[in-house]
Amino acid sequence: MEEFWEGALWALKIWLSMIISLIMIPAMFGFSLGISETYMNILVKTLEWATLKIQKANTDERTLKASASNGLIQREDGSMEKELEELRRSRPKPPVGGDFTLSDCFYFTRRGIESIVEDEVTQRFSSEELVSWNLLTRTNNDFQYISLRLTLVYGIGIFVRYCILAPLRMKFWLSEWVHVMCYRICARGLSATIHYHNRENKPQKGGICVANHTSPIDIVILCNDGCYAMVGQIHGGLMGVVQRAMVRSCPHVWFERAEMKDRHLVTKRLKDHVNDKTKLPILIFPEGTCVNNTSVMMFKKGSFEIGATIYPVAIKYDPQFGDAFWNSSKYSMINYLLRMMTSWALVCNVWYLPAMHQKEGEDAVQFANRVKSAIAHQGGLVDLQWDGGLKRAKVKESFKEQQQKQYSNMVVGDDSSGNSD
Amino acid sequence: MGALQSLPGQPQYADLAEKTGFSYDQIGVLHKRFNQLSHNEETLRRDHFNDIPDLACNPIRSQIIEAFFDRRNFRQNGEGTVDEIGFEQFLVVMSHFKPPSLHITDDQREKIRKEKLRFIFNMHDTDNDGTITLEEYRHVVEELLSLSETLEKNTAKSIADAAMLEVASISMGHMEPDEFYEGITFEHFLKVSTQKTTLKYYIE
Repeated sequence: MEEFWEGALWALKIWLSMIISLIMIPAMFGFSLGISETYMNILVKTLEWATLKIQKANTDERTLKASASNGLIQREDGSMEKELEELRRSRPKPPVGGDFTLSDCFYFTRRGIESIVEDEVTQRFSSEELVSWNLLTRTNNDFQYISLRLTLVYGIGIFVRYCILAPLRMKFWLSEWVHVMCYRICARGLSATIHYHNRENKPQKGGICVANHTSPIDIVILCNDGCYAMVGQIHGGLMGVVQRAMVRSCPHVWFERAEMKDRHLVTKRLKDHVNDKTKLPILIFPEGTCVNNTSVMMFKKGSFEIGATIYPVAIKYDPQFGDAFWNSSKYSMINYLLRMMTSWALVCNVWYLPAMHQKEGEDAVQFANRVKSAIAHQGGLVDLQWDGGLKRAKVKESFKEQQQKQYSNMVVGDDSSGNSD
Repeated sequence: MGALQSLPGQPQYADLAEKTGFSYDQIGVLHKRFNQLSHNEETLRRDHFNDIPDLACNPIRSQIIEAFFDRRNFRQNGEGTVDEIGFEQFLVVMSHFKPPSLHITDDQREKIRKEKLRFIFNMHDTDNDGTITLEEYRHVVEELLSLSETLEKNTAKSIADAAMLEVASISMGHMEPDEFYEGITFEHFLKVSTQKTTLKYYIE
């Protein structure tokens, strides 16, 4: 019995020293032993094989539905005018009164029911339904028993992930060293493979860096490649600890959530920071919340009013390897971290876009939209007009009235003759 | 988390599929949507519908939402309204919007068409008395049109009056000067909507 424990201890020591030498040292000095790359290659091959197996097993069930309710909604994709035109075609124009009939309701009722079955916005806030299965039960909603081999691979995968990869990563999560090294170790810990594109456009001092937001890991990813000052709200819990640790190494600008409501205060503090040319570029996520990385939501205009140079950055995660999206209203931070650590790997692409300035006669909202389009275009994401705050709050009144206005223009607008008083 | 789900329980859906005519897949999708809307509760209430941003833009959203809680739409010949609905009632109301399958007789087609028109009629007959009065009609027009500066209250009123007049002339023929048109009954509504092309788009 004793010998068993001795043997185990000895094996543990060897294992630990192997880890330290193979992972920490290269991470510290920024070079790679090529292990990550081989790991990734093996991973890709395994996943492709698994996917093919599943596809062979059920060819008709796996119809690739981009929208879950494809079978339910028969979209005609006409504008309001076109569809109402059709509805009215048969009726002769009435001698008096506006061009209105009760059957116009049909159109609105249909649209209403369609949005009850499925709407654009809510879709963006649930994790993307993957077309292929990446051997994580989370992303596959209809797990089926395909073959013994597949199950075996899946079993081995669980073992590898929970017993080997996770402990490795936990070690590194709380290290606190020089700014960039600290983040680099975290990135290695998550098996993050990041491809940076267009590095010549990297944000300079005294500017504002703007990026789309999917998870807190975005920060790790960006900081791997440069130093930034952060703007954000103070979190409680584990995030708060990490935040306070970061503050010690670099001057950041943290806000209370209540302070964020006072926009002038926020603007002033940001302006001060930006004008000081020795300060690091500020990193801001103007969407205001985490989005599930298939689209870019409306950018809040606050950061664009300051008048500094904006360096847009597009971040796109490869969903094949792990879902990085953090639904903060559904999962707590710890839960999210655990999920991150037990997924296969994190692959993402970061594109640095050329700097943008506010043009003459352009207001903050237009500027924000311009930057947003550039980021969405580069990252291959859908450019949406909707507000990210809709994750928690309701639609603004002005949007509701838009439909009403459009319809009333149709009814009243083409009623030139016979409008009784 | 991580439970291995099997295919959706077939027996419980068989019943619903029978009643509403949806396929198992469609029922599965709608069930997911129901759970999403009700935040995984058993029943759906009115305020759950208010969370849908696309619906919030719709001018007649309150009538659409009311339609879900109207007993007349549950196909059990009930009356009045309820405050919360379960998945079965949700499905039944949704089934009103299902396109008819291709191989049905003319009689069945007629029946389905009538049901759909009944649904719309119920949506506007808010006080449940079987007729759409002028007041109710005006209410619909106002909801649909914007209360902005381009439209005054009078314009909405006159549009409603004119449309009402049109319905009266079609259904009652010639009216005496002192006859008063009570309201649109369901039969009149059917008559007005007899244009096949008007409904083709909606029903098929």
